[in-house]
Amino acid sequence: MTVMSSMATSTELRAQKLISSYVRAGYSPIEPPLVQPAEPFLDLSGEDIRRRMFLTTDPTGRELCLRPDLTIPVSRAYLASAAAGKTAGFCYLGAVFRHREGAAAEFLQAGIESFARQDKAAADAEMLALGLEATTLYGLAAPDIRVGDVGLFSTFVAALDLPPAWKRRLVKDFNRKWSLAHDLDQLALSAASGPPEYQGVLAALAGSDPKAAHHLVTDLLSIAGIEAVGGRSVAEIAERFLEQAALGAGSRLPRETRALIERFLAVRGGPDEVAGELRNLAADADLSLNPALDLFETRTGFLATRGVDVRKMHVSTAFGRGFDYYTGFVFEIHDARTKGPLIAGGRYDGLLTRLGASEPIPAVGFAASIEELAACGGEP
Amino acid sequence: MSAPLILAVPAKGRLQQNTESFFARSGLELVKPRGPRDYRGAIAGFDGVEIAFLSAAEITAQLDQGTVHLGVTGEDLVREMIPDADRQVVFVDQLGFGFANVAVAVPQAWIDVRNMADLDDVATAFRLKHERKMRLATKYANLTRGFFADHGVVDYRIVESSGATEAAPAAGTAEMIVDITTTGATLAANGLKVIDDGIILRSQANLVAARAGAWDAQRRETARMLLDRIAAQKRAHGYREVRTRFAAMNDTLLNTARQKFGIATPFGGPTSSGMLTLHCPPKHVHALASFLREHGAEAVSVAALDYVYARDNPVYARLVAELERNTSRAAANPL
Repeated sequence: MTVMSSMATSTELRAQKLISSYVRAGYSPIEPPLVQPAEPFLDLSGEDIRRRMFLTTDPTGRELCLRPDLTIPVSRAYLASAAAGKTAGFCYLGAVFRHREGAAAEFLQAGIESFARQDKAAADAEMLALGLEATTLYGLAAPDIRVGDVGLFSTFVAALDLPPAWKRRLVKDFNRKWSLAHDLDQLALSAASGPPEYQGVLAALAGSDPKAAHHLVTDLLSIAGIEAVGGRSVAEIAERFLEQAALGAGSRLPRETRALIERFLAVRGGPDEVAGELRNLAADADLSLNPALDLFETRTGFLATRGVDVRKMHVSTAFGRGFDYYTGFVFEIHDARTKGPLIAGGRYDGLLTRLGASEPIPAVGFAASIEELAACGGEP
Repeated sequence: MSAPLILAVPAKGRLQQNTESFFARSGLELVKPRGPRDYRGAIAGFDGVEIAFLSAAEITAQLDQGTVHLGVTGEDLVREMIPDADRQVVFVDQLGFGFANVAVAVPQAWIDVRNMADLDDVATAFRLKHERKMRLATKYANLTRGFFADHGVVDYRIVESSGATEAAPAAGTAEMIVDITTTGATLAANGLKVIDDGIILRSQANLVAARAGAWDAQRRETARMLLDRIAAQKRAHGYREVRTRFAAMNDTLLNTARQKFGIATPFGGPTSSGMLTLHCPPKHVHALASFLREHGAEAVSVAALDYVYARDNPVYARLVAELERNTSRAAANPL
């Protein structure tokens, strides 16, 4: 037996052991097809993932891909199964495929996806605890646990006194830090960024009855013979046009609001520290961060109960995972010896609706990189 | 004869005609010695070059691989088809035809969308309202992706389009498009408008060199002679020859003319008999003629130039400097 194959075998054995422990924890093993429709990945992860994917087409021209991750395939398999809509948990071990600079395009992931559990705080805590089990199995003593909560930021933004367009933009750009800083600059400057094209009309409409103004704009569009092309209805166009009227009327981000956003995003530390600071911030600004903040604290409690040393977690309100589908708890487990995370996951309550579920289904999960765990880990 | 330098040129359409006249202006006649159906050719009276007649897309692909040395193709295609284009090819010269802007266009009915920031907001609002992303039809998927990422736009999907992209929104297969436009007339006819800051690339035909091509000494020499002709024509095109004879011409006067009219003095100051030859940009020719006569010239003649050869050849010098910086993904092609 060569050295290579004995190494592969030991890696495999250990990965099998990991999956067995997940099965014992109550998760059913699942093996979704390697070849998947490309559409959901592009739609949910953004066009940027296209250049890292292995794409092909079937004879009818439908775009297919080698699965670049397992969250979407497992979610699709769950929705297609008899268990759809009911509480169910799955675990997997399998190959995923992505173009990676200087690394093999095919690599192993193990992970868990948990669907339709209503006890979100407990489910979140269980994911992090099961993730940590993998690091223990691979002999990693003190991994670096990074934690965030996208729900805190969206609750915070929703509570701010800002026009809807700006709220949408801040939430969307949360995962792109430079964009977020850019947004704050733009907001602060919006009055100085030049008059909009129809400033006169917009100003005239600004104070009027919203319903009448809406009718006026839709009528004008139809008088001009402009038909709605491209999926946006005339009503949608009119609505945003009038929203711009509200924005254009000299509104700009007050200095205190910007300072508040920056203060929020600077909050970091242990979970209790973070919760305390956020309660102070909420009290100072006279806004409510509940129920997101309650959920955060309940989750910390569950984590402690599961034996996680919560004081050693690095919590940051600005921590997101760069994926737009996360809606709440997010976490990564790192080791100084590798660049990317060993384990990463989070809550994605909106994903199943986007994959076609008729009712919202809460979901949370994580994936572990087997090669990186093996590279960092000591002897089993 | 040793292996030739391969120059790829477009095989059909307006681009072919423009390319042929471009080379013809430099006295380089592209010929097909084995008949018009042949896809290999030569330059009449100019050894060491093989012409490959290919489609613009094929030229771009072969430049990437280094299976041709030089090629005429649009910058839009190069930047779309070759990731990290500047590491794979050298843009040797812009040729002054094949102009096209790659631009983002949306339905005219979107009166609330004026710039990319508006589009960004509309895309996100659309996703939240419809539970799906706006679709963008294009054959420039890579250029689009880079441009949208720079503007922070994420809530969109690319729908590959191979023809009649501008009809996609009306046909209901996309909400917006990225396509080439010259006057915007085709877009307007399809009820679309270009976004203010939505020009992704201002493209034109370029002479492009493949970094991965085999650039031995002989091929470099062939390229030097080729570029020498092209540079001579280009230089000639930028000037008129102005000849005069007068005794009162001195350095001070010559300097004034240089500053006022941007003239060049390819053969130095006046000869002992007062003969003077100047090169002057076309737009200043008449003013220069008046200036010279005011200062004592009896007669001034102006003539067009066919070629102006100079000792230096900045285009070739840049090509060689760029080829020395080996940034290509592939090793030099053995061809």
